[in-house]
Amino acid sequence: MKQKAIYIFLSFLALAIGVMIVIDFNSTRNKKGKGNPYALDLEPFRTVDPALIHYKETRNILLKCDQPRAIFYDNNRLYIGADQYFQIVDLDGNQLLKVDLPDAPQCIYSAPGGSIFIAFRRHIAVFDQQGQHTETWEPLGDSAVITGLAMRDSTLFVADAGNRCIMRYSAADGKIQGIIEGKTSAADLHGFIVPSPEFDLAVNTDGELWVVNPGKHSFENYTDDGKLRTYWETSSPYIEGFTGCCNPAHLAILSDGSFVTSEQKLVRIKIHKPSGELVSVVAPPAKFVRDGKAPDITVSPEGIIYALDIDQKKVRIFEKKSGT
Amino acid sequence: MERTKPYNRRDFLDGGMRMSLALGLGGVGGLLLSNSTGEDWVWQIDPFKCTQCGRCADECVLTPSAVKCVHAFDLCGYCDLCGGFFLPDANDLNTGAENQLCPTSAIERKYIEEPYFEYVVNEELCIGCSKCVKGCSSFGNGSLHLQIKHDLCKNCNVCAIARLCPSDAIARLPASEPYLVKGDFIESESTRSE
Repeated sequence: MKQKAIYIFLSFLALAIGVMIVIDFNSTRNKKGKGNPYALDLEPFRTVDPALIHYKETRNILLKCDQPRAIFYDNNRLYIGADQYFQIVDLDGNQLLKVDLPDAPQCIYSAPGGSIFIAFRRHIAVFDQQGQHTETWEPLGDSAVITGLAMRDSTLFVADAGNRCIMRYSAADGKIQGIIEGKTSAADLHGFIVPSPEFDLAVNTDGELWVVNPGKHSFENYTDDGKLRTYWETSSPYIEGFTGCCNPAHLAILSDGSFVTSEQKLVRIKIHKPSGELVSVVAPPAKFVRDGKAPDITVSPEGIIYALDIDQKKVRIFEKKSGT
Repeated sequence: MERTKPYNRRDFLDGGMRMSLALGLGGVGGLLLSNSTGEDWVWQIDPFKCTQCGRCADECVLTPSAVKCVHAFDLCGYCDLCGGFFLPDANDLNTGAENQLCPTSAIERKYIEEPYFEYVVNEELCIGCSKCVKGCSSFGNGSLHLQIKHDLCKNCNVCAIARLCPSDAIARLPASEPYLVKGDFIESESTRSE
């Protein structure tokens, strides 16, 4: 009888030890632990009303590279800068040309039927459409970080995030014609505020130069001699605005003058009216890697949006849904 | 003719004890020498592995935690709208408590010149919860990050936080280089646009 009681006691003891091991294992030892009482919930800002999404992804082109960097659309061709080369592909993704470069390209721009401008960190190199190198322009200073190119007629505008200014070049000979520093007499503008190398610009079909002032979440329109003509700005973590220290990171302009914007961290692509109001969402954050890099964007005259997804290494093609 | 003395059990035990004593004294001496001349190791957080889970605040044997937020000023944009200081949907960009992300108001916002502000961490108030780190990483340059402060850390044999860190971001470092501080502008670069 006594021996039986000992067996029962030992069985209960073994069971209790087993339960404690399982509880301990499930609680902390496998690093599950309790929830984060200090969590910063960003989900409300990642959620987008489906009714606002007027575009759908119709195709994509996978890229065989380690680091895609820049994209530009011209004449049914995509000009893509990656690793230490640039390539031209048709809209089905077939490679038409590939040119090795001595350094990593930062931005790319093709003048219609003419030269291809490749921006490196501190200087511009010019190639013809056959990939022959024709010119290398004088480098900017040591602190230069070129982040954007745009062109009107024979003028190439170069965004320099390092020096927080726009350089106005003659595309014919690579001579600097002027510098736009974004300074104005208006009390509420302070020149370009560029906390990180995200500083883009674009020229619309009317030839107007629009520059993103990323620290202010503003879009500023300048004359060639650097005078501010107009601007709009909207700061908000919600879909109607821009948030973070450096957004939007990339800009393109549709033929109707609307702005296509690409944002980093809370990655999303949107369209805003020329006056600033949100028109629609092209791609919500759910389409991209969480806390990812802003896709570089370019648009066709028909309004098709090409996004270079840096994290997933592919060109994603967005077209407007019918009926929106 | 000299007769050799037989090696008996008493001699064996006697020699063995002498040898053990010598080895023991030598070992203790070597260990002391090694401790006095060898390099110490300390625990530290790799800010590039940290996923801001919040455990550093609660799991350290110290209260408040020896983990504190530090600021890489050369990486900071000195923004008016700071993702590490303000709640994402702050009512206004001022130092009102209702606008601040930090649960202990440990970040001080100092005006430099329009529109730039400096953000300084008050270590006495910081509990290492990483909420500001998450905000800075999600909306800014990631200049705010966590480090174990070695003037506070007890350097436990098994760090209580390291044992639980879900991203294995805490590891031993030589005491001569005890910090892993962010701050390389070039590494933080992202891609460029057209």
